[in-house]
Amino acid sequence: MGRYVIRRLLWAALIVFVVTLLTFVIFYVMPPGDPAIRFAGKQPTEATIREVREQLGLDKSLPKQYYTFVERLVTGDAAECPQGVEGCGWPGLWISYDSRTAVRQEIIERGPRTISLALGGAILWLVLGVSIGIISALKRRSLADRLAMGFALFGISAPVFWLGLLALFIFGSEGLGIDAFSTGYVEFSSDPVGWFSHLVLPWSVLALLYAAFYARMTRGNLIDTLGEDYIRTARAKGLPERKVIMKHGLRASLTPVVTMFGMDIALLIGGAVITETVFNLQGLGNFAVNSAASADLPAVVGVTLVLAVAVAVMSLVVDVVYAYLDPRVRYS
Amino acid sequence: MLALSLLLAVTAAGCGGDDGGGGDEQAATDTGEDAGGEPQRGGTFRIQTDAFEWTGNFDPTGEYLGTALGFYSSLLVRNLMGYRHVGGPEGNELIPDLAEAEPEISEDGLTYTFKIKPGVKFAPPVDRDVTSKDVLYAFKRIGTPSLVAQYGFYYSVIEGMAEFTEKGGLSAKGTNEISGIETPDDQTITFKLTEPTGDFLFRLSMPAAGPIPEEVAKCFMKAGEYGRFLIATGPYMLEGSDNLDATSCKSMKPLPGFNPNQRLIMVRNPNYDEATDTKEARENFVDRWEMTLNTNAQDIFDRVKSGSVELAHASEPPEVIREYTQNEDLKKNYHSDPGDRTWYITMNLTQPPFDDIHVRKAANLIMDKEGLRRAWGGSVKGDIAQHIVPDTMFNDELEDYAPYATEGDAGDVDKAMEEMKQSKYDTDQDGMCDAPQCKGVLHVTRTTDVWKAMVPVIEESFRKIGIQVTTREFEDSYTVIQTVKRQAPVSSTPGWGKDYADASTFMVLFDSRSILAEGNVNYSLVGLTGEQAKEVGAAGTTSGIPSIDADIDECNKLQDDERLSCWQDLDQKLMEEIVPWVPYLDANADFVTSDAVTHYVYDQFAGEPGWAHIAMDPSAG
Repeated sequence: MGRYVIRRLLWAALIVFVVTLLTFVIFYVMPPGDPAIRFAGKQPTEATIREVREQLGLDKSLPKQYYTFVERLVTGDAAECPQGVEGCGWPGLWISYDSRTAVRQEIIERGPRTISLALGGAILWLVLGVSIGIISALKRRSLADRLAMGFALFGISAPVFWLGLLALFIFGSEGLGIDAFSTGYVEFSSDPVGWFSHLVLPWSVLALLYAAFYARMTRGNLIDTLGEDYIRTARAKGLPERKVIMKHGLRASLTPVVTMFGMDIALLIGGAVITETVFNLQGLGNFAVNSAASADLPAVVGVTLVLAVAVAVMSLVVDVVYAYLDPRVRYS
Repeated sequence: MLALSLLLAVTAAGCGGDDGGGGDEQAATDTGEDAGGEPQRGGTFRIQTDAFEWTGNFDPTGEYLGTALGFYSSLLVRNLMGYRHVGGPEGNELIPDLAEAEPEISEDGLTYTFKIKPGVKFAPPVDRDVTSKDVLYAFKRIGTPSLVAQYGFYYSVIEGMAEFTEKGGLSAKGTNEISGIETPDDQTITFKLTEPTGDFLFRLSMPAAGPIPEEVAKCFMKAGEYGRFLIATGPYMLEGSDNLDATSCKSMKPLPGFNPNQRLIMVRNPNYDEATDTKEARENFVDRWEMTLNTNAQDIFDRVKSGSVELAHASEPPEVIREYTQNEDLKKNYHSDPGDRTWYITMNLTQPPFDDIHVRKAANLIMDKEGLRRAWGGSVKGDIAQHIVPDTMFNDELEDYAPYATEGDAGDVDKAMEEMKQSKYDTDQDGMCDAPQCKGVLHVTRTTDVWKAMVPVIEESFRKIGIQVTTREFEDSYTVIQTVKRQAPVSSTPGWGKDYADASTFMVLFDSRSILAEGNVNYSLVGLTGEQAKEVGAAGTTSGIPSIDADIDECNKLQDDERLSCWQDLDQKLMEEIVPWVPYLDANADFVTSDAVTHYVYDQFAGEPGWAHIAMDPSAG
C-alpha cells in the first residue's frame, strides 16, 4: 500500500505539472484580450500600456514567462515580493494583477471559507443522502420511498441559486428576519457560533442538491446489492438482517458513492461559485470567477492549481478508502 | 460562468425590454435639501457594493475609478482646488481647497501661482503640515513611468514634465526635476505651462495632483502599491493609519482600512482642522465609513431596506426601482441625479455602410431611443441624449439642441428614409439600404441584461431602413471594440463619463492622435488617416474621414465662456458634419439609501453621493 501511495503521489505531481502547462497555455497564450490594456486605465496611452506590460512580466517571451511561473511555484516568491505585499512564500503564486495582493495569501484567506462550505455541506448531504437512500431501498414502493424519491427529484431539479435566494427570502430580512442566518462569512476562530449559523443555509442548499443524487445512487446500488447471491447466502446462514444490510449490503453498495463523494469534494474546493455568490462567502470560486472576468491571470492560475491538487489528493483518498470498503480491491 | 450569469439574471429579476420597472416617477432631489430635520453628527455609515473595481488599487497617482475619485476628493485628499461636493452646476465649480485662494495666473495664461493654506496636516503617522514640496512630489509620482499614472496625460502641458518622465521620473539616477514646477517656499508653488490650457485648474483638482508625503510614498514605487498605505490630508483617513509604523519601508504593513478585494474603512483624521476648510465644501457629519463587498446584489438592497446597510452601491434591479419610485414611503430613499455620462451607439467610419454620413444620420433618425431607455429601466435612469456632451456640462445651454429629434424619441421612418435616399448604399433611392454591405452588419454588444434588452430595439430600428445587423454579445465587448483590427462596424457597448466638468474630457474620444491599435477609445476612428490606418491595423476605407484635431486644439486654448461656446460648437459640428454616434442616454447616477440616512446630498463632480455632506441617524449604524 505504501508503495502504491508513493507512486500515486508522483503521478499527482506530474498531473499538477501538466495542469500548470495547460492553464498557462489557455490563459497566457490565448487570453481573450491583453491584460496590460485592462490595467492601463480608461484612456490608455502607448507608454502606460508598455509600462504595465513590463510590470506584469508580459513583455517577456512565453517560454520565459512559463519558466518564471514554474520557478516561483517550486522555489517560492518571497525573495522578490514587492514592498508592502504580505503573504508571498511557498508555493509562489505571485501577485494578483488586479489587487496587487499575493495570490497565495488570497488563497490562504479564502480557502477556509470554501473548505468550510464544502466539508460542512458534504457531511450533511452524505448523512442525508445515504440515510434516505437506505430507507428508500429497504422500503421499496412504500410511502416513505415515494416521499424520499420525491425529495430527491426536487433537490435535483431545483437550481442552487434559486434555492439559495429562496432560503434567504424565507429566513432573511424580508421573511423571518433571522440575523444569524444572514449572508457573509464569520471566521471560526473569532466566533464559532456565528461561523456555524452563517453557514447553515449554504450547507443546507448545497446538501439538498447533492443529497438528492446520493439518495438515488445509494438506493439503486443497495437494491442491486441486496439481490446478489452472497446476500442470500448471508441471510441463509442466519445472520441478523441488520448485519446483512450494514456489513454486507451497504458496504459494497457504497463504493461508487465514495468515488463520487471524493470528486464532489475536490470540485467544491475549487469553488462552489453560485453558493458562494448568493451567500456572499467570498471564497475561492468567487475569486476565480472575478479573476477570469478581469483577466487576472496569476489569480486564475492559482485557483486552478488548488483545484488540480484537490482533485489529485481526493482521488488518491478515494482509492485508499476503496480498498477498505471492498475486500476485492487490493493495492500491491 | 454560465451559472453565474444565470444567477445574475435572476438577481436582476428579468431586467427586460418592457417598461422594466423604472416607471416615470420622480426620485428624490439631491441638491442638499434636508430630508429630515437638522443633520446630526456621528454614526457608522455602511455601504455595500457588489464589486470593487479599482483601476489602480487606490493609489491616487494611478487610480481612475469614479467611486475612488469621489472618496478622495470628499474625504481623504485635499487638492489645491476642490469642489463643494453638491449636486447641480454648483457642484462642478471649483473652489480653493488646499490653496488659500484662487491662483495668480499670468497674462499669457502660462503661469499659475498658488499659496498653500497653513495648518493643513497629514494624518498620522506623518503628523506634519502639508507643504508645496508635497504637491510637487505628487507631480513627480505622476511623471514616474513605473507608477502608471492613468490620467498622467493631463499634466503633459507642464513644462519639463515630458523630460522628467523620459529620464525615468523618481527612478532616475541622479537629480531629476520638473522644470515647470517651482516651490520657492513651503507655502508657494508655481506651475509653468507650455501652452495655454483653459482647464488646467480642473486638472489640478484631480486626486493624483493632491499632496503625497515622500517619507511614506517613496517606499512604493510600483503601480498600485501606495493605495494600502495612503496618508490622508482630508477629514478622514484609512483605518489603522495611526498605527502605521513608518520608521522604515520594511516596518510598514498594509493598513487594515483598505483591502482591495474586501473593504474600505475610513475614520476621522485627528489632524484635520475644520478651520482650514469650509462648510460649503465639507460638513463631515459621519464618524466612520465602512464600504464592504457583498456578492449578492439583491441581498444588498434587502439589507438597505431593513436598515442594516445605509447605502447600496450597486445597479438596482428593475423591481427595486419600481418599488422605490412607486411606494410613497420609500420614494425619499431613491436618489437619481444627472451622472454627466453619455451612453451611445458608436459607428465605425471606416466600415460600410457606416462610412457614409447619410447612413449615420439615418441611424440617428431611426433609432428608438425611448425604447432603449425603457431597456435601462425608464425615465428615472436619465434623459434621452440628443448630442455628445451631457447637458449639465454645458449649463443646459444646449438643452434644446436636438438635430435628430423624432416624436416621442421613438425614431421617424420617413425622415430616416429621406436621409437614406442620399446614401450610396441605397442603390434605387427608395429609402432602404439595399447594397450587399447592408446585410449581416456586425453589432457588438455586452452580455449583461440591459444590453441584451436593447438588442431587439436596435435590430428592429436598423431593419426599418434596410440595415440587417447581426448581433454578437461578448463578455469582453470593450476589448473587441478597442482593438482596431477587429473592425467592429457598430457597437452599443460604450458609455463615457466626464473626468471633470469640461467638454475636453469627452472630445478626447474623437482625437485622432489618441487612436491606438489596442486599447483605443476613439471607436469611430474620427480623424484616422491612411498612414495611421496601416499602423493600427484598420482595414476599411479612410478616404474622406474628417478630423477635428485642430478644433480640439483651438478650444483647449480658450477659457471660461469662450471655451464653453467653442466646445458647444464642436459638439454640434460632430453631430451634424461627422455623426460618429447615436447618443441615446444622459444617464443618471442613482442610489438607494436606508431610512437612517437623514440628509442625502449628491456630488456632481464625482457622480457619487456627496459623502462630505451626508448625515445619518447616529443611533442606526
